[in-house]
Amino acid sequence: MPLTALFLCVTVLALAGPALWLLRPHRSRWFAWLAAAPPAAVAGWLLWQAPAIVQGQTLVENYAWAPDLGLALSLRLDGLSLLFALIVTGIGACIAFYTHYYYEHDEQQGYFYLLLFFFMASMLGLVLANHLLLLYIFWEGTSISSYLLIAFKSGYKGAVEGARRALIVTTVGGLAMLAGMLLLGQTAGTYQIDEILAQPGLINMPVFPWVLGLLLLGAFTKSAQWPFHFWLPGAMAAPTPASAYLHSATMVKAGVYLLARLHPTFALSPLWFWPLFVIGGITMVLGAVSAIRYRDMKAILAYTTISALGTMVMLLAFGQAEAMLIVTVTIAAHALYKAPLFLIAGIVDHSMGTRDLRRLAGLWRTLPWVAVAAILAGLSMAGVPPTWNFLAKELLLDEFYHLWTHGEAMANATLLGAVGLVASLVMAVAGAAAIFTLLWEGFLRAKADDPHPAQLQHRPPFGFVLAPLLLAMFGALTALGIGFFQPLLAAAAGAIAGAPVDKTLKLWHGWTPVMIMSLSVLAVGMLLVVVRRFLRAGLETTPPWLNGVHLYDRTIDIIYGFAYRLTKLVQGGPMAPQAAVTLMAGIGVVLLAFWQVDWGALPAFGSEPPLPLEFLIMGVAAVAAAATVRAVSRLSAIISLGVVGIAVTLLFVFYSAPDLALTQLLIEVLTVILLVLVFFRVQPDKPLVDTRRPLRWAIAAGMGLFGMGVVLASQFYQVGPSISPYFLANSLPLGQGGNVVNVILVDFRGYDTLGEITVLGLAALGGYAVLRSPQLHALRRQLNRRLQGLMGSDQPAPSAPVEPQTMGVSDD
Amino acid sequence: MTEIYLRLVDLILTPVLGMLAIMLFLRGHDYPGGGFIAGLSVAAAIVLHILARGAPEVRNRIGRYLLPLTGGGLLIAVTAALIGLYGGTFFKGMWTKLYLGGMELKLGTPQLFDLGVMLVVVGMTTTYLLNLSQQGDVQEDEDEDNWEGVA
Repeated sequence: MPLTALFLCVTVLALAGPALWLLRPHRSRWFAWLAAAPPAAVAGWLLWQAPAIVQGQTLVENYAWAPDLGLALSLRLDGLSLLFALIVTGIGACIAFYTHYYYEHDEQQGYFYLLLFFFMASMLGLVLANHLLLLYIFWEGTSISSYLLIAFKSGYKGAVEGARRALIVTTVGGLAMLAGMLLLGQTAGTYQIDEILAQPGLINMPVFPWVLGLLLLGAFTKSAQWPFHFWLPGAMAAPTPASAYLHSATMVKAGVYLLARLHPTFALSPLWFWPLFVIGGITMVLGAVSAIRYRDMKAILAYTTISALGTMVMLLAFGQAEAMLIVTVTIAAHALYKAPLFLIAGIVDHSMGTRDLRRLAGLWRTLPWVAVAAILAGLSMAGVPPTWNFLAKELLLDEFYHLWTHGEAMANATLLGAVGLVASLVMAVAGAAAIFTLLWEGFLRAKADDPHPAQLQHRPPFGFVLAPLLLAMFGALTALGIGFFQPLLAAAAGAIAGAPVDKTLKLWHGWTPVMIMSLSVLAVGMLLVVVRRFLRAGLETTPPWLNGVHLYDRTIDIIYGFAYRLTKLVQGGPMAPQAAVTLMAGIGVVLLAFWQVDWGALPAFGSEPPLPLEFLIMGVAAVAAAATVRAVSRLSAIISLGVVGIAVTLLFVFYSAPDLALTQLLIEVLTVILLVLVFFRVQPDKPLVDTRRPLRWAIAAGMGLFGMGVVLASQFYQVGPSISPYFLANSLPLGQGGNVVNVILVDFRGYDTLGEITVLGLAALGGYAVLRSPQLHALRRQLNRRLQGLMGSDQPAPSAPVEPQTMGVSDD
Repeated sequence: MTEIYLRLVDLILTPVLGMLAIMLFLRGHDYPGGGFIAGLSVAAAIVLHILARGAPEVRNRIGRYLLPLTGGGLLIAVTAALIGLYGGTFFKGMWTKLYLGGMELKLGTPQLFDLGVMLVVVGMTTTYLLNLSQQGDVQEDEDEDNWEGVA
């Protein structure tokens, strides 16, 4: 078996985005096929591997990343990963194809593909990762791409707000999860997921409740579980292909995936059951019931997605292997009906100019193929036989019915079964009512509510409808051959349960009580469509403070308010107090250090006295420093400061450190010019009578002591053996370079340098954003006007010797 | 009128500083120099250019390349580190020797990494220099219309 295949799969998807972006795909129809090709190829390869994987084999790839830190690029393909990877790439191919038509002739298409494939690669990496920290990196990759995709229509306020909300909620959860992962990894002694799952003793560790709580927080926020569910409807501001893919089929299932991945070992803990069962159950019912209220097609789909995620989480609470089979069927079924429904909402939005059900009616006449796809996917969602979701709901009801009637094996089984059955029935009825309402109002009825119904703006080309139509047909019809999918679903369920699953899936069980329940659910769902007006009116009376968004916004307001006051306290006002706060923090460190120094144990100052030349250089520096402080004008202060720098450079030359000297010299020159550029044109402060002079002297003296203390400490306090001889000895043999400084920078300490240049890059971005920001320019203009008013005519503002345009004409 | 002199200095010194940067970069692994210092020299050359020609003109000429330059530098640095993965671990230094007509030239991923460092330093420093120097100019309000893409 090829050893780099999994790695290659992720890389191919990661590179497909930039490649498509460079090709500017909006130019030709063929790019739809080209965009669908990479995920389709990966899906094909996965299918080719499937026969071996479903028999229980796993494909593991390990690359050393930083072995000393226990970091490895470790990927693993087993039954569970295979199911998720197939959904990611299979649906991904459909979405990539569809996107081309969604952004037909639109220049933004390339950028959208860039983000879409960034997400796709992250998501595939997430479900393949076999290392906790690697999983975390991919996890955040999906959060960031989700943020960028939600905010894609950046001119629209709702999009930006929704994106920020989704990002904050999911990354707060993600950070909690990271803490949980670190605790888990440290306790287990390894970060490899398969090795951790092989240690069932972990669940008895005293730290386990913390690990579980933190990981659950990550999973619940990502998978939009109550009370964090509110970000998902807000994320519907994203372009529809992104909603269909990220916020329904794949990304929101990452939390479910994490729970499923940890299930074999974690489900053994008594702490596992209740949080999942309760939170999942609440989410399931709440999502489905809320969905009825909305008239925006995407909102209905978003709330039913929340409900489906709740179902999965609730089922994962159980330990039995059979229940896991229901989870995998639900995951597959949901991906197969929800993605096409979203895509259809996108087509309707595109063709009719709205997706508001009040303004829509009779779409089966206007958009017949879309209606076919919508009805197939809708019936699947409602759970009409013989669709995938019929099977999933049947299994769900059966599970709880069985628990209710024959649940001797578990404590409280009868009660649990009854509660679960009622909750599932409510969810099923509400979900069916929501989707039947959507189908009836949007596609079947003759007349819209609104006096101005939407008109067809442009007919969608067949390629636009192709992806949802295929997906809907697949989801509605292939469940007839469920035996063909059985091995895959059972293998995935086996990977979740940690034990093989021997239950056989069947579409038809005869006229069982559960079957009758399923059919009654459909009947009641249809009845509710008739009385939908009263249902909506009733649901709209929910008080606003029950709304998650409301709570979230209040919390964020409080945090922002606190941050604002804190910033105003320590960083408000003019420059000098700001600097004083920072410097006093430095002095505090010194005082703390002095407090702890054991003065008796200090080595004696044994260095030789400085040479006369050194005295001279230091004298120059001291005089220049004094001149800087005493300088009246800014320009002379800047120049004196430059002299200090040059003196230090000379000292470096004197000690034959040419690299340092060169760097120092260049930095000095650039700093002086920067300071001149900035300060030369700013009006000087009015000379004030400074009342806080003693304080400032104290701060300056303290800072001087701080600097001196650091230098002395580094000279005389040897904590461990010096590393310098190692660098000197190994620079040429290991680093292939004669210049030790450079070898340290780019080789021995390459990680540090990479971190530093990343910070530099970010600083460049930040500086660009701040210095070019419209607010700053507006402020500057305002300031200039005020200054001009103050100064009168003798000093024409701080306008510097700006060169007249005639002289600025370039030569070419 | 000082600009005449500055322009003369610019005309002579900018190529010299550029060549100095190339030399510092190429010899950097064995003799004093390296990507960081080379990047600073390029920045010094650009400063001279800004002083002689004025920030708006320099911005028109190179402004739009700066952020891609910074990003490209980071990309090169990460790529250099990733090549090491082929040799065993992330960031492992990989070297090869090239013989060009009797002259031996050694090439390695640390040098590639150094190139990335240099580009980031140039991009970052110049971004600040250009924006800060233009910050002082009051008469560049014609620039106002270009903010949509930035904000």
